Amino acid sequence: MRRSDPQFNQFHKLHHFLSIDGLDKATLTHILDTAEGFTSVNDKSIKNVPLLRGKTVANLFFENSTRTRTAFELAAKRLSADILNIDLVSSSTKKGESLLDTLRVLESLQSDMFVVRHSDSGAADFIARHVAPTINVVNGGDGQHAHPTQAMLDMFTIRRHKGAFENLTVVIIGDIKHSRVARSGIAALVTLGAKEIRVVGPQTLMPADVESLGVRVYRDIDKALIDADVVMGLRLQNERMTSATIPSTGEFFKTYGLTPERMRLAKPDAIVMHPGPTNRGVEIEASVADGEQSVILQQVTYGIAVRMAVMSIIMGHGEEVREAEMSQA
Amino acid sequence: MTHLRIDNARVIDPANKLDERRTLFISDGVFVDQFDREQCDDDAQVIDAKGLIACPGFIDMYARLREPGFTRKGTIASESTAALKAGFTTVFCAPDTHPVIDSSATVELIKQKAVAANGARVSPIAAFTAGLEGKLLSELATLYNAGCLIAGHADHPVTDTGVLLSTMEYASSFNIPLMIRPFDPAIASGGCAHDGAIATRLGLPGIPVAAETVALARLIELCTSTGCHLHISRLSSARAIELLRSAKKKGLPITADVGIHHLYFTDEQIKHYDANYHSAVPFRSVDDRAALRDALRDGTLDAICSDHAPHDNDAKLAPFPSSATGLSAFDAFAPLLFGLPDLLDMPLIDVIGKVTCEPAAIVAPKEVVPNNDKLAAIQTDLLDARSYSLAVGSQADLVLIDPQAHANLSAENMISLGKNSPLAGVTSLTEITGEDVALRGQVIHSIIAGRLRA
Repeated sequence: MRRSDPQFNQFHKLHHFLSIDGLDKATLTHILDTAEGFTSVNDKSIKNVPLLRGKTVANLFFENSTRTRTAFELAAKRLSADILNIDLVSSSTKKGESLLDTLRVLESLQSDMFVVRHSDSGAADFIARHVAPTINVVNGGDGQHAHPTQAMLDMFTIRRHKGAFENLTVVIIGDIKHSRVARSGIAALVTLGAKEIRVVGPQTLMPADVESLGVRVYRDIDKALIDADVVMGLRLQNERMTSATIPSTGEFFKTYGLTPERMRLAKPDAIVMHPGPTNRGVEIEASVADGEQSVILQQVTYGIAVRMAVMSIIMGHGEEVREAEMSQA
Repeated sequence: MTHLRIDNARVIDPANKLDERRTLFISDGVFVDQFDREQCDDDAQVIDAKGLIACPGFIDMYARLREPGFTRKGTIASESTAALKAGFTTVFCAPDTHPVIDSSATVELIKQKAVAANGARVSPIAAFTAGLEGKLLSELATLYNAGCLIAGHADHPVTDTGVLLSTMEYASSFNIPLMIRPFDPAIASGGCAHDGAIATRLGLPGIPVAAETVALARLIELCTSTGCHLHISRLSSARAIELLRSAKKKGLPITADVGIHHLYFTDEQIKHYDANYHSAVPFRSVDDRAALRDALRDGTLDAICSDHAPHDNDAKLAPFPSSATGLSAFDAFAPLLFGLPDLLDMPLIDVIGKVTCEPAAIVAPKEVVPNNDKLAAIQTDLLDARSYSLAVGSQADLVLIDPQAHANLSAENMISLGKNSPLAGVTSLTEITGEDVALRGQVIHSIIAGRLRA
């Protein structure tokens, strides 16, 4: 049977947030605009809005995460939802329980939204296709595939600093091959119309046919950084440091590390981004990560508003489905 | 004495390059000129095959029947019956069962179950190392005499090149052909899809073409030095086809096959993570598919196999990378095969040759095998691959097919226990691949050794 994009419900509205692929510019812009409204909520002394009051959001993290899970938790709380944190890394799935069985159990806890992180690419897609139609799914990172809320908070950060995307040259450095952050970021930048997206790193860290994503490949970081408006570092995973993909973290830093000298090749007002946590002295020098051009901590802050935007938008669309199911019942 | 007469069929016999309308007479399991006077037509069973094609029964070079060991996925009874519906009268079954097919006892068990099932003939592929562990040689001559016409290694790679060399030397001493899928696990490195733009977008770890070509180049070199008859199983890439083509040009004793789905699908089909397209041999690019099709037309590829891999439903109910590999192939095989002449602009007789006389020639016993007498005795209940045709004197394994009948591929109509076919419920391939192929072709009768099976 031919499959379609599971992100949209029967009313052609965004019901799950799984991937930037398949979303148009208007949808991404709507998320950014909505997040803009929520930043003011976060600045107030009483930070809650009642949009998700009475709703239950379940954090289903099959892979370790502190930052992303906490950000989702905070976003859900500020929307006045109840939040369930379920630690799946050490529990049922390790005992051989199938992913589907785990989902059925969690469904019966009457949650309205699942935020999922899983080590398999396509896991969020699989979960969205198999949950009850009334549940909304947000992808908190699936394998090497997508991390769409990270991409949206990155876009939000860029827009805050740079305005429109059309004239921007964005450079992404490092492990593109294994990075869901890079894939989602590139997809969002392409859709929002960035002028040029450059990726730079050794071939061992590039996926096959990487140009097909809409990027230009550079081997030389010094050439890649010329006239850049936005410089994005990526975290080099520990397991890559001990395999044959790079010889040593020292050589990686020498060849691709982001240093103050290299940053001078970019535009003077270029911003430095990183999804965190940073490996200082591996991908980035501390003085750059903490320097004037760094917006790394703002990314974390904006992550709350962006996730509030995503959750409230799809929960709203979920309401339509829930009402339709009620009227049928 | 049993007599069978088939009237009015379009008789397609690729071994003899015949495509004609004639009557077929079968007596006592073999084709005869006509019946003797005393075996008058009254005794004979008569089939009016008007509108049907009669051709030798198909031979499947590679299918998993899952028994012994994995009967939740398939049994010899269920899968050999499903094979008949696909047009197969003989199925070479993969040795990666539990226990592995590395002893005469397991071969015997499979043969007995197959006889009881009364489906297609089941011809076990011997595992050429004990337990498919890639370390110790199996008793190849013993297994050959027990009825394994070919030895293979399923999808288990042989990482030790010394073991491979030694196996090929040993097998060549007895003229036993080896069937190997070229696959370098270190290069594939846990990949689950063709290493191209689509896997990159989906974040799926890729299987580079080099995983196939590096392993194939190694096999070709070993074939050059040992002279072992090597059958290359289930190729997927254009570059591997190039290597194969030049090896064949040099006159090496190499044959090769392709899985039927690889002539239709590409990595485009996985773009929504449909686990039914998750295959150990990945679906590659449009160019790779084109090269496989060319190779089939020009004879570089000798055979088409089903690569049948039935699964229980749970095995596919997981995210793509964690789902089990393989497609259930039997139920859609006949319509896919009959779609090939139009799709490839290839004569039907040549397409049928790829599943009849050509695979038969690959496994046909050569001289110099010890205990040939014993082998000959076994042949009565095994495929007689030595003259696989509809000619007088040949063993009467044949099928009658309605080439116009639309296939019904609804899940409840599938015979295989494995419902994991992306074609379940599909009536035309256009909705999947965009190529205009109607799914037609229904096996009406299967006849094995002169007896009607279905």
